[in-house]
Amino acid sequence: MNTRLVNTPPALTFRWLGMNGTEVTVPDETDTHVIDLSRGERRTVRLPDAGADTTVRVRLAEGACLNLVQIRPEGSENTSVLTVEADCGKDAQFHWYRVVTGGGKTYDACTVRLSGDGACFTADVAYRLAGDDVYDAAVTALHSGRKTESTIFASGVLSGQANKLFRGTIDLRKGAKGAVGNETEDVLLLSDDVRNGSLPVILCSEEDVEGNHGASIGQPDEELLYYLQTRGIGREEALAMLAQAKIDAVLRKIPD
Amino acid sequence: MNTDKTYVADIDRSLYDFRFDDRDSYKVKSGLTEDIIREISREKGDPDWMRDFRLASLHIFEETAMPPWGPDISGLDMNNIVTYVRPNTERMHTRWEDVPKDILTTFEKLGIPQSEREALAGVGAQYDSELVYHSVKKEVAEQGVVYTDIESALHGPYADMIREHFMTLVPPTDHKFAALHGAVWSGGSFVYVPPGVTVEIPLQSYFRLNAPGAGQFEHTLIIVDEGANLHFIEGCSAPKYNVANLHAGCVELFVGKNAKLRYSTIENWSKNMYNLNTKRARVEEGGSIEWVSGSFGSHVSYLYPTSLLTGRKASCTFTGVTFAGAGQNLDTGCQVLHEAPDTTSTVNTRSISKSGGVSTFRSAIVVTKDAEGSKSAVSCQSLMLDDISRSDTIPAMDIRTAKADIGHEAKIGRISDDAVFYLMSRGVSEEEAKALIVSGFAENVSKELPLEYAVEMNNLIRLEMKGAIG
Repeated sequence: MNTRLVNTPPALTFRWLGMNGTEVTVPDETDTHVIDLSRGERRTVRLPDAGADTTVRVRLAEGACLNLVQIRPEGSENTSVLTVEADCGKDAQFHWYRVVTGGGKTYDACTVRLSGDGACFTADVAYRLAGDDVYDAAVTALHSGRKTESTIFASGVLSGQANKLFRGTIDLRKGAKGAVGNETEDVLLLSDDVRNGSLPVILCSEEDVEGNHGASIGQPDEELLYYLQTRGIGREEALAMLAQAKIDAVLRKIPD
Repeated sequence: MNTDKTYVADIDRSLYDFRFDDRDSYKVKSGLTEDIIREISREKGDPDWMRDFRLASLHIFEETAMPPWGPDISGLDMNNIVTYVRPNTERMHTRWEDVPKDILTTFEKLGIPQSEREALAGVGAQYDSELVYHSVKKEVAEQGVVYTDIESALHGPYADMIREHFMTLVPPTDHKFAALHGAVWSGGSFVYVPPGVTVEIPLQSYFRLNAPGAGQFEHTLIIVDEGANLHFIEGCSAPKYNVANLHAGCVELFVGKNAKLRYSTIENWSKNMYNLNTKRARVEEGGSIEWVSGSFGSHVSYLYPTSLLTGRKASCTFTGVTFAGAGQNLDTGCQVLHEAPDTTSTVNTRSISKSGGVSTFRSAIVVTKDAEGSKSAVSCQSLMLDDISRSDTIPAMDIRTAKADIGHEAKIGRISDDAVFYLMSRGVSEEEAKALIVSGFAENVSKELPLEYAVEMNNLIRLEMKGAIG
């Protein structure tokens, strides 16, 4: 087995935090996919994730639209190292749906270049981690086209000794006039032994742009739990419902 | 530049750029060697332990790599930096009349003696490597408050207290420039506020670097004992030279149980300065540290005041504004470590980039397993005034307990056209409207400063924004 440094973010943070990339033992099995959509083509692609060193290369011509769905099945015990590289032409749309519902170690790097004017990228990421599960991700939207848009949404639940590190980067480069990038992360923590790392970065070298990010990390809303309990739902069941809601927030968006 | 944009002028630094001949009475050779460190130690009359501390720090400096993650500092060559420059006066004075005339003129132009008369409980004034003036009001001294230079404290009744605390919060192993500081530190202030004492009006230290190609390495050590309360203001400036100057100061703040310390800084170094400063506070049970930080000067800054919340219900607020103009790369922010239960932190920053300036907000919020019930809220907003500048936000959060409530929000953008239009519809010119919006954008800091400093800060911003519609 080889080891490799993955998920180095475009902008580094303080070294002592240990967030500037992760050394991983990469699975021997490799898997490569090339998805090339021609002008105006629309497609939904589901790629299985059984644990491999997987590379997905995406090229979207003008007006093309790709929904890429990648679900890591529950109960996985192995390691998955995924690299998604996408280039989006004019008015192209790339929607990435990534669900990690527990088991093993999962390392995701998704880098999307929005070079065509009006190109759009959405990342909807949901994770539910327990035991000693690991989820380590770096999602990057590089805006160079005018009026490009990106939305990175991550929602998840950590319990047990789970370890999660999510790096989201919106890079608004010079020339990307009118571009908008938004990032939101919503994390529910259910155990005192978890580790949650978040590195939401905005890089900006263009004036006429807008970049926003917000993060909310913590315990379940006690008022909401109380409300559910007054309706006859036990606390454990109510917690499970809230956890499932985090996953459903993404699952619901996945096209049929 | 686009013709439809408001021209934003560079800051008028004439207030800070005046300089006098470099008539130091003594300076070491440039560079950094064991001989130079021994020479500095001998000149300063260090006790043996401090000489050994300096030498150990030098070895750490030599073995430590440059930080790989921040702005480029390859233009800083330590071989060209003079690390110790004693000004042309034999000792620290307690009356302004005794300070040499050109040094006195410098501080008068900066308004320090006037501020002391009107609004301060005590003043320390450092010129190059040494304090030239230090004074504390009689009624404050009678409360038992100690405010002096570190060198005097090293040899006086507080020698043990200095030895117990010196570079324990920021050890020389922390990073390369902490090690450098440990080796060549000179000047700075020591403050001790006894239990239960409230210092009603602020103390201020002002650091002025006059010598070209020199470094300033002052050490500020403040101990606010149980239930005490202090506001400390730090100011700094230098004239601009064509050679690199270096500031690698160190601030260590010890905030006792239920004590409160506000530490305000208006940093206005010249644009040839590498400002690699380290500030850290440790806050005990129920204590609070409030940082108010305005960064306007320097060529390159690395500045992240750090709060270690080690006692239950300790709290921290950080309020900052950074204004990066032409030739500046200002990497600022803060770090908060929640290490005890029910601790809270609130971070509120604004940054402005113009004329090719680069501003980066960089932060770390760490909540350890022991910090149950902790809360943190971070808000950072950045304004881009043109399309040749750069503004980045790099916030990190590391949360290791479920019983925490952490919120973060950030926004980068330009001045809202709607807001400008609204003001113009009320008869305000476009230029005035934009200046007004930028002043309002930085209000989070100015409203936290004493009045006269808030006025100075607003003047700095207005000078920056003054121009004509192109």
